Amino acid sequence: MGILREKKNTSLATSPCAQLRDAYHNCFNRWYSEKFLKGQWDKEECVSEWQKYRECLSQHLDDKHLSRFLEADGIADLMNPAGSKIPDAAPK
Amino acid sequence: MVRAYSQEHVYKHPWERVTAASWRKFADPENKRTLSHILEVDTLNRKLDSNSGKLYTTRAITIHAPGPWFIRRIIGQDICHCVESTVVDANSRSMQLATRNISLQKFIEVEEKIRYDPHPENPTEWTTCKQETSIRIKPLSALASMAEKIEQKCVDRFQQNSAKGREVMERICKYLEAESSGIPI
Repeated sequence: MGILREKKNTSLATSPCAQLRDAYHNCFNRWYSEKFLKGQWDKEECVSEWQKYRECLSQHLDDKHLSRFLEADGIADLMNPAGSKIPDAAPK
Repeated sequence: MVRAYSQEHVYKHPWERVTAASWRKFADPENKRTLSHILEVDTLNRKLDSNSGKLYTTRAITIHAPGPWFIRRIIGQDICHCVESTVVDANSRSMQLATRNISLQKFIEVEEKIRYDPHPENPTEWTTCKQETSIRIKPLSALASMAEKIEQKCVDRFQQNSAKGREVMERICKYLEAESSGIPI
């Protein structure tokens, strides 16, 4: 506490995955526009890109808060009103 | 102490294009200059419900949030991790995003919700964007008197950044529009 971190420490843990990430995101963006939005949502694509990218993430994502979302059921459900803080959020 | 505010914006682009732009908003290298506070965006999880046509996504967003020096001294860092969860319903044409910080929660809680829906008056051509943001600074005893000022600063910063976000969205929409009509860019 109280000590400013060195600048080099702001370089991020997932940077080694940047190439795999771009490959996956490019594939996803294409699938999203050309298939998913046109009603062809029966089949997932970009599976191999996704697996390589995730494997990299699981090795480099050292933040525990984030890595739990990598688990199979780690879909965050922030829409769920039970988990939402918005109802208390009226200005006082 | 909570600051909450909401914003609405109409994109003169169809819902499909706007939601495609939303996925690219933080990822395209050209936008990284405009949205320089966004350091990293990683997709952590994705689930496709192939019966209903719903796509669930969890992403990690790392934000550079340099505050006043005394905040940095207390917190010891100026990056913040957020988790964004998204549901796209291709059947009913809606996209909902909710983002919340998962680090620095001792100090601040930010929640942002965005919805993209077809515009009721022109559902095939236009898209409405509704955004709700709430910011809560935890009143640490030492900071209690400052907390309110900081909250307002955070609100100002968020509003500046969401204006930049809209600018980027408009730019990507135009790019996608040109791309889909085969105009060389």
